[in-house]
Amino acid sequence: MKAQLQSFPQSQSSLHEEAGYFRVAGVHLYTVSHPASEPVARVLLVGPFASERQNSYLPWVRWARYLAARRIEVLRYDYRGVGESLGQFEDMTLKDWSEDLRLLAEWYAKREPALPLVLHGLEIGALLASKCFYEGVGDAMLLWSPPANANLALRSTLLRWVGLEQLLTPGADRRPASYYVRQLEEGESVEVEGYQWSSKLWRDSFEWVLPPEVDAEPGVGMGKRPVRTVKLPKEAAPLIKGGFVGSDEVKDFDWLFRENAQWIQTEVADRGRVSDVASD
Amino acid sequence: MLQAIESRELITLDRFGPVVQGTYHRPNDGDSASGNKKRIGVLFLNSLSLPRAATGDSSVYWADRFAASGYPCFRIDLPGLGDSDGELPQDLLGFINSGGFESAAAQKAREIAETFNLSGVILLGHCAGAVSALLAAAKCRECKGLILLDVYFHLPQAVRPAIRRKMSDWALKCRLGRLASNVYHQLREIRLRMRGNRLPENANFPLIKCWKELAPTGLPILILKAPARRAMGAKARTGEFDYLEHVLKIAGPRSQVTVKFAEGTDHSFANRLGRKAVEQHTEDWLKSNFPLIGRRLSSELATLESSGD
Repeated sequence: MKAQLQSFPQSQSSLHEEAGYFRVAGVHLYTVSHPASEPVARVLLVGPFASERQNSYLPWVRWARYLAARRIEVLRYDYRGVGESLGQFEDMTLKDWSEDLRLLAEWYAKREPALPLVLHGLEIGALLASKCFYEGVGDAMLLWSPPANANLALRSTLLRWVGLEQLLTPGADRRPASYYVRQLEEGESVEVEGYQWSSKLWRDSFEWVLPPEVDAEPGVGMGKRPVRTVKLPKEAAPLIKGGFVGSDEVKDFDWLFRENAQWIQTEVADRGRVSDVASD
Repeated sequence: MLQAIESRELITLDRFGPVVQGTYHRPNDGDSASGNKKRIGVLFLNSLSLPRAATGDSSVYWADRFAASGYPCFRIDLPGLGDSDGELPQDLLGFINSGGFESAAAQKAREIAETFNLSGVILLGHCAGAVSALLAAAKCRECKGLILLDVYFHLPQAVRPAIRRKMSDWALKCRLGRLASNVYHQLREIRLRMRGNRLPENANFPLIKCWKELAPTGLPILILKAPARRAMGAKARTGEFDYLEHVLKIAGPRSQVTVKFAEGTDHSFANRLGRKAVEQHTEDWLKSNFPLIGRRLSSELATLESSGD
């Protein structure tokens, strides 16, 4: 499968961010590159599950800009079938998204100049990132609120959606979450927040777990590469579920960004520089 | 200026006003459908804080569909939203309701019309995006029509006080709560009737003034309403002022306002029924108010050919 990034000067923002399309499996993934001057590391952001994208988008973009302003180049993207990426969501599987990530990460890791690559995943993105990292891609990994398995993330999204549906639905027509879970388990698809969840997506989600190595040796991680796992507190909404739409997106996340950017700088960028000097 | 990927192009609009990012959905029949006439485009504005794809990527869906019908579509991230640079205030809802995006939306409508050689632009907004669309339309010669999804004319609170949230939860969860809620809304209804047709204190008066100036000019406006809690169709729920009825009344005899109700969906219009309803009503409205001459001729020719005449 040939991966190809097509980016256009016309799609550059005032911050010199560059939007483009990355070709995978016959469709295009939407990507945004945040260049940094004199970069010391690269970070590939792997975002949360489909319907969490819209809620977390503003702080996620601000995080990318925060890093870019601190000499850390960033690439973020939309999953296939989600947001600005092409493809049909209902046909997608976690395996598809995992393969897309691997292609994108391998391409990003080979960019010049050679720099340490950090995979940073949020929620389901953390599971995808850890699989990719486990397979050997990347020099470090940062995980924000990884669920123990993908089904837990899907389930909490489903519960939130059912809660909202119940507000609008007259008593007799109200369905509990268990009704939709049963439908998914019986092979039906269910539409949740505008996305058609396939039964396969639901079934597969149980198998997508966090590798045990992630928690085994905190701070050291797989293959002695640095790994950091952060369970985001509720104040981190809307990066995680909760919060108030139209208000929380614009709040100050410096408390979260600062310590995580510092971790990248000390664990990855500085270590990279030390090893450069040693190899010289 | 632009390069294409399949049916879409990524664009940066930097000629008038702040720099914004967006996606252009090219009409899939090239330029032939409009004959020699310039086309009209549809410009999608962000709904509150959502990125330009909107809930469940519904805006992507609609833009693809309208473009397939021959109408070039543009989805942009207003300054500070989605992929566009810019600072946002903490009270984003208040900012939008007071016209915070009015100028940027009007500038971008003008830029799109000029850059893409369009006869004009129809502004499409959902919820807070509909407020921005309406305010921008009054400031923009290039705006030839409005599509307003669940537009509101009052000033809602982004974050309701904790006590009100708790009471709402209680009202939903138990029989006594529902009973108390019914009594509360009946009392509000009595108060409403005693006030006559006077607008409530939390009405967005500048927005209603803008409507009062715009609607009577005959600008084609499509209003799409989703079902609301305890409301019957497009009517307001018991105890709430019926803004829609009010704005239709003040729109005047020359107005061209169409109101459609979308059954089986919610405020986001993002589920299948909502998407289809918006798609169908909007396409009907576009075809009747902004017909594509070339497309009609081609279709008539095709009919003649198939009938053997």
